[in-house]
Amino acid sequence: MPHLAVNGIHAKYGSLDVLHGISFDVDRGEVVSLVGPSGSGKSTVLRTLVGLTPVTGGGIEVDGTSIDYRSSRSVRAARDRMAIVFQQYNLFQNMSVLGNVTLAPRRVKGRKRQEVEAEAMDLLDLVGMAHKAHAYPDELSGGQQQRVAIARALALRPEILLLDEVTSALDPELVNEVLDAVRRLAAEGMTMLLVSHEMAFVREVSSKVVFMDQGKVIEAAPPAKIFDAPDSERARDFFGKVLRG
Amino acid sequence: MNYNFQFNVVWRNFDVLLEGAWLTLQLGVFAFTAGCLIGLVGAAIRSYGPAPLRWLVNIYVIFITNTPALIQIYFLYFALPEFGIRWSNEACVLIGLTLNAGAYLTMILRAGFLSVRQAEMEAGETMGMSLPQRIRYIVVPHIAKSIYPALANFFIVILVMGTSVGALIGVDELTGQAINLSTVNYRWLEYFTVAALMYVVLTFIASIGLALLGRWAFRVKARIF
Ligand SMILES: Nc1ncnc2c1ncn2[C@@H]1O[C@H](COP(=O)(O)OP(=O)(O)OP(=O)(O)O)[C@@H](O)[C@H]1O
Ligand SMILES: [Mg+2]
Repeated sequence: MPHLAVNGIHAKYGSLDVLHGISFDVDRGEVVSLVGPSGSGKSTVLRTLVGLTPVTGGGIEVDGTSIDYRSSRSVRAARDRMAIVFQQYNLFQNMSVLGNVTLAPRRVKGRKRQEVEAEAMDLLDLVGMAHKAHAYPDELSGGQQQRVAIARALALRPEILLLDEVTSALDPELVNEVLDAVRRLAAEGMTMLLVSHEMAFVREVSSKVVFMDQGKVIEAAPPAKIFDAPDSERARDFFGKVLRG
Repeated sequence: MNYNFQFNVVWRNFDVLLEGAWLTLQLGVFAFTAGCLIGLVGAAIRSYGPAPLRWLVNIYVIFITNTPALIQIYFLYFALPEFGIRWSNEACVLIGLTLNAGAYLTMILRAGFLSVRQAEMEAGETMGMSLPQRIRYIVVPHIAKSIYPALANFFIVILVMGTSVGALIGVDELTGQAINLSTVNYRWLEYFTVAALMYVVLTFIASIGLALLGRWAFRVKARIF
């Protein structure tokens, strides 16, 4: 049974249809990447998973249990198991780095402050941000905020981690730092769904690549297959450009 | 001008004025604090509440902000007893000022609700935070930081203009005491000069207090003047 099953989901913003029946599975401990041109709906897929954008058709299952997005209890249960790192990090601006990381574990999960803070410092250390624990987001660079956002998501102890373009705001040196952290998590068996434009990284870390265009899955295959010998014309065209460019 | 200032009468009764100033400060702080709580609930309802509750809040705000505070307090003091509700003059000022401040603060705080970053609210939501928790941990710090100057100004308005209305129904706050004392020996000019200076000192102290509070609690880089 897949850890996360996305079965033909549809979604729209207002009257604009954005997802037209997206399906793919993520097994436990697997790393799956969503790739595709800008505007193809990758972020929207992640948003529907965590219940921010309503699903207008199809369904999502976690561990075989389907999520009812109209039931707040069901959504809460789903959010309890998944954590998302947004493309724009979305840190709490009026809270220190440590505050950002400890808020939900303390207030939502009701865990003890000391324990949560110790764990938060370990996580910040993991992403190389422990020295900025008492800084505020507006005092950090984009890449630093990105790494804090990753630590904040991990502090929720998710089973499934959703990462949206976590390297887009980083300089090459930091890209490697963040990718190392992601690699380590993958090695530890964290189930991950990531959106990325870093094709070299996608190839290395993921066991499956889902190629999307205009709200549809065009092709899903292991990286070697989809990069080097895709079945679809559209995928060949896209990867031909990004891999060369 | 040939007026012969005689401040020694005032100094003799200075402790009475001080008592008045102390009551003024208490009235102002209470009405502002309670008004902030009302305003927070009102602004939250206007932003996230169901339609019938939103209408109730709108009626409250429109009604209060379009009538003079004096009339509201007179209503509590003179009209409510007709319905068998009798409050002391101090209670009437306190309740009247609080309801009045609550309506204005609903409008002021609403601006803070509107300008909070949606992305932060979404992040909180996906982390499992309930709406009250998101208000408490995301909206309130944002409001405190972004509209702190407006809030501080409003506090001064209540402290100076709001509380002095109490004098008209015999509450012995600073203005009331100045009136009481000067009717005894007709030293109006002296008493009111000193009372005015005391108001200035009060607002000065309040401004410094608010600036320090803002810096300490909300990282607001507020200038004192
Ligand atoms: N809040 C919104 N309101 C209306 N339309 C939106 C909104 N967010 C996204 N869209 C539209 O939905 C489509 C998919 O957007 P989405 O953000 O999922 O794309 P993406 O694949 O993540 O792109 P990128 O690689 O640029 O991040 C786009 O056409 C976009 O214009
Ligand atoms: Mg995106």
